[in-house]
Amino acid sequence: MSLSLPKPMRLPSLILLALVMTLVFGPMIMSADPISISVKDRMALPSWSHWLGQDEFGRDRLARVLYGGRVSLTVAFLASVIACVVGTLFGLIGAYFRGPFEFVTMRLSDVVLCFPPILLALLVVTLFGPGVTTLVAVLSVLYFPAFARIAFSEALRVAALDFVEAARALGAAPRRIVLRTVLPNILGPISVQFSLTAAASITIESGLSFLGLGVVPPAPSWGQMIRGARAFMNQDPTGILVPCAALTLTIWSINFFCDRLRDTLDPKHGESAGKDEIAKARADAAAAAAGPAQILDADVVAQVKDLRLALPRPEGPLALIDGVTLTLRQNECTALVGESGSGKSLTSLALMGLLPSAIRPAGGRILIHRKTGGTVDLATLGERETEDLRGNDVAMIFQEPMTSLNPIHRIGAQMIEAIRAHKAISAEEARARAVELLDLVGIPEAGRRIDSYPHELSGGMRQRVMIAMALSGEPKLMIADEPTTALDVTIQAEIVELLQRLRQEYAAGMSLLFISHNLGIVAEIADQIAVMYAGEVVEQGPAAEVLATPHHPYTRALLDSMPSAHEDLHSSRGDRLAAIAGTPARPEARPSGCAFRDRCPQARPCCAESRPELYPTGTRAARCFFAPGADQPQEREAGA
Amino acid sequence: MTSYVLRRLTTALVMLWVVGTIVFSVLLIVPGDPAELLLTTGGADASTDAVENLRKKMGLDRPVAEQYVSFLADTARFDFGDSLIDGTPISETIALRLPRTLELIAVSMVVALALAIPAGTYAGLNAGKRFDRAASAVNALFTSIPGFVSGTLFIYLFAQVLRILPAGGYVAFAQDPWMHVQMLILPTVTVALHLMTIIFRMTRASVLEMRAHDWVRTGIAKGLRRRQVVRRHILRNALGPVITVVGLQLGILLGSTVLVEFVYNWPGLSGFLVSSVQQRDYPSVRAVILTVAAIFIAINFLVEVAYSLLDPRIRLT
Amino acid sequence: MTALLEVSDLSKAYPVGRRGLFRRRTMQALAGVSLSIAPGEVLGLVGESGSGKSTIGKAVLRLIEPETGSIRFDGRDLRALSTEELRAARKDMQIIFQDPYASLDPRKTVRAALAEALDTHGLHTGQRRTPRLNELVQMVGLSPQALDRRPHEFSGGQRQRIGIARALAVEPRFIVADEAVSALDVSIQAQILNLLADLRARTGISILFISHDLSVVRFISDRVMVLYLGRVMELGPADRIHFAPRHPYTAALVSAEPSLAPRQARIRLTGEIPSPMNPPSGCVFRTRCPYALPECAQAVPALRPAGEGQLTACIRDDILS
Repeated sequence: MSLSLPKPMRLPSLILLALVMTLVFGPMIMSADPISISVKDRMALPSWSHWLGQDEFGRDRLARVLYGGRVSLTVAFLASVIACVVGTLFGLIGAYFRGPFEFVTMRLSDVVLCFPPILLALLVVTLFGPGVTTLVAVLSVLYFPAFARIAFSEALRVAALDFVEAARALGAAPRRIVLRTVLPNILGPISVQFSLTAAASITIESGLSFLGLGVVPPAPSWGQMIRGARAFMNQDPTGILVPCAALTLTIWSINFFCDRLRDTLDPKHGESAGKDEIAKARADAAAAAAGPAQILDADVVAQVKDLRLALPRPEGPLALIDGVTLTLRQNECTALVGESGSGKSLTSLALMGLLPSAIRPAGGRILIHRKTGGTVDLATLGERETEDLRGNDVAMIFQEPMTSLNPIHRIGAQMIEAIRAHKAISAEEARARAVELLDLVGIPEAGRRIDSYPHELSGGMRQRVMIAMALSGEPKLMIADEPTTALDVTIQAEIVELLQRLRQEYAAGMSLLFISHNLGIVAEIADQIAVMYAGEVVEQGPAAEVLATPHHPYTRALLDSMPSAHEDLHSSRGDRLAAIAGTPARPEARPSGCAFRDRCPQARPCCAESRPELYPTGTRAARCFFAPGADQPQEREAGA
Repeated sequence: MTSYVLRRLTTALVMLWVVGTIVFSVLLIVPGDPAELLLTTGGADASTDAVENLRKKMGLDRPVAEQYVSFLADTARFDFGDSLIDGTPISETIALRLPRTLELIAVSMVVALALAIPAGTYAGLNAGKRFDRAASAVNALFTSIPGFVSGTLFIYLFAQVLRILPAGGYVAFAQDPWMHVQMLILPTVTVALHLMTIIFRMTRASVLEMRAHDWVRTGIAKGLRRRQVVRRHILRNALGPVITVVGLQLGILLGSTVLVEFVYNWPGLSGFLVSSVQQRDYPSVRAVILTVAAIFIAINFLVEVAYSLLDPRIRLT
Repeated sequence: MTALLEVSDLSKAYPVGRRGLFRRRTMQALAGVSLSIAPGEVLGLVGESGSGKSTIGKAVLRLIEPETGSIRFDGRDLRALSTEELRAARKDMQIIFQDPYASLDPRKTVRAALAEALDTHGLHTGQRRTPRLNELVQMVGLSPQALDRRPHEFSGGQRQRIGIARALAVEPRFIVADEAVSALDVSIQAQILNLLADLRARTGISILFISHDLSVVRFISDRVMVLYLGRVMELGPADRIHFAPRHPYTAALVSAEPSLAPRQARIRLTGEIPSPMNPPSGCVFRTRCPYALPECAQAVPALRPAGEGQLTACIRDDILS
């Protein structure tokens, strides 16, 4: 069992196990009696027969600590088990039947939450008098609503998942669904709550005993030991230190276990969570050493040169982006096309200096032509300079308009802050400018809508707000990362049209980098196209030419697999789409040589030997040995 | 907004009534005669006279409905009857002692917020780095020390070994301001330490969660300064969950300060409560618990209103 | 040919937001939808978000309860079945979901998930179990080694295949494919579409294919139904709907579809999709329709024949012909 434990769980499990074993079996193997009094040995120092000395009544302290711990653990364990079983049952019943069961479950826990736990315990103790039974009863009543609440909300969450629906659709019996499908999937949060409850129970039990209202003397308990030794702390500090340490160690080891358990079950709680753009940007010393940025052609807005990005791993860096070169020109829309995992989004984030901190640049440079004139290498810029560049020279809109705006600020405030980040103007002027921009992107009644919160707008409207915000710095380059993917078809068409119109009418000369997996949209908007596969550009050139006569087998296969490109085909007539076999290679499992060869219908032995270059022909280029402009494939074949 | 506040207010009042009813009916659901139960100590049966006497005193001889109505009416007028032990009006005792408890909690809360929010934010922004790892480890340790344990240890350290602070007690501020402050220090540190662990943890988790949201990336992409992004797009959003937890903790704190007050002989509600429990003075215990629950409900109402000011989406629910 | 599934006048409203003291606001997800599917037929259901297409998919399987309407499957009234009878009837009708990450229980191996399906209806027990499981995974293009792995070890496309295998395990006669290819990459989407087309050709299974992607629906379906705000706008043979739409909404949808081939001018819609909580009177599409007349607000237009097997819910004949 312990061998199959995930690594982070091993240490806490071991500590907890050792502690429980000591408290359970310790008293069995020792001879000292925790309650026999020996007045002449009051507060005796540790000796061979009494390892931790004797207390204010001359009782053996080690025996008292061990027996006391046993009582604490028993109370905590019993109370947690009862609370857990009853609460989980309540929660599941509430979640399954809803209606009145839901009401009772939820309200009951609301009411119990109104009473600070220790007060409720005191109320009951007043009526029934102190004692172990009372404690267990009180603690289970106190904590079962928490279990009910967690079981309820987790069960609802799990029940909404498709696999539970699938079980219903299969005709499985409700009892079976609850026990076999829902329950196993909510055990994680419940076990976390169990450890929390155990720790809290020990705290309350010892607290009550400390007040003299918990475990009844002469039965030993840690709280009582502290209470008794308090009066003599001057003469005999061990008297308070020993039970204090035992109590703290016990609670700590349960908490430690609980923390690790939570991290293991829900990685979001762990440190690895989060996109790390907020971590301070560091100027890359290596890139700075590479010399001054080159001068770009006058019409080039930005250039990505041989970009390489990697994920550092113990066994060596994992290449995610492998030598991508892109030239973005004024007044041109370049589309970056590829499937998920092709690296198109990473490339665009790199252009904004927005890479997750886990990913390291491994080579290449990103040059940006600034509005103020002059060319900069993104990697050499400090934090301030990068901030000045973002939103000002290069702006970006994202895929999810629903989550890209901060829900707690009005859209006006979010726009004004963007405008004032780069222009020293008053808030009133910025507001007037924001209204102008909202009007420009087609938001009706912009003067009124500016005071809306994001949740008051539809997805299409929010994406318009994002576009208006991106335009506010009058950037030379706008990056749009799948800006229409989350939108309905008719809204998508409107947004594409808006971007086209803005490029022509408003920001004349602005370069647009449009990232998409949808070749149909790309055909409508793009002048240039770059197709990415497995972290490389495999084909690039003027959009119309690439889409009409693709040179790379991947581009061709992508076009062939699109139903919208084959309106003459129909499944009922026996037609099938020309699908690409297999799945895109994951970064850790890319084949040698050409990354596409294991899915390529034209692959030959030579494709496995070396990686093809991006062979240029005229305005186009393709990364294939059999593309026009490549070295003679026949010769290679003969040589192989 | 107004309708949201009104709805929350209604909920709070209903809760208050439910809590009162539950506290009232506890006496009805205990097995046997509550008066007899209260007088039973260590298996020794109480005399019939004493039981009869107590029944009369607590009004248990009247019909339940009548008891209930007069209980609600009295409670609403802040009249909890007289103590069973010395016959003094309970509301007077509470009025005298409650401010002392509130003072302790308020000062501790201010201290805890002032330290834990910046620390939690910094740890959340630098998760996994050295500061975060150290702070989280220290936090985990302090989370595991119950207030009465740290209180006892503090007394030993500061009052017995170092002899720089009094071991406990209370002097009214008006009487001796300097002594009052000195006596306040250790209880405050004890309560604040406990609070800090919770606020730190929550702030850190909340910041960690918020910073992964898409709008943070939008903020950076707009070219905002790092400080602005942190303040407006991470902290402002993280504050909602944090104040909710603070509100909840304030309530729990009202209970757990019982132990801290007891440790330091701070004459707040706790001494009264503990002696009432020991002497099984049910009306007094009931009064303290009702007061605390009422304060708790009021705090939560305020927290909900504050949260809705921070996050407009809340008002819709 | 008698229909396998015959649905008439299906309506469903969801309560939304907070419950007022006296009134309860509702969102009309479906209003009077009728449809039928013949054995071996693929009926496509297209519409934008809020059109009610997923609601239909779940309602015909009685995974959600419609307010009104009748659902007859193979001549039996599904809504009249008892809970037990319904559970037995589920053997004949299955569903494939959109999100390949949520549709498989992360704790169950493929073998356990498929075995659960077989156990539920007592199929292929004992000796015949293993050959059947091998056959199932091979049918969806996976190797038998896949049986002992858990969902997280598979890619999105492979998970979708497992979801299809689970649905096929009980040998249903009818499958609802609810946005079954929408979350997949283009190259994988084509694989799954081909798989579904092959299955239909080989087993004669009927499919209710729900998608927001008009070209995908056109390729896979025999007939297509276009929905808007819970109402049927148009119904007809797939190619007719795509190449000769008779309803302005269908026409707008087709023209908005991104396409490699240059198309004639796009039909622009104005304004936003109205809230389903407060749909327009008369024709629900009139607020965005470029051809709307005052009469459109008067009454809800009924579906009427428009030639070539097409039905349209538009009162105008003088447009789009």
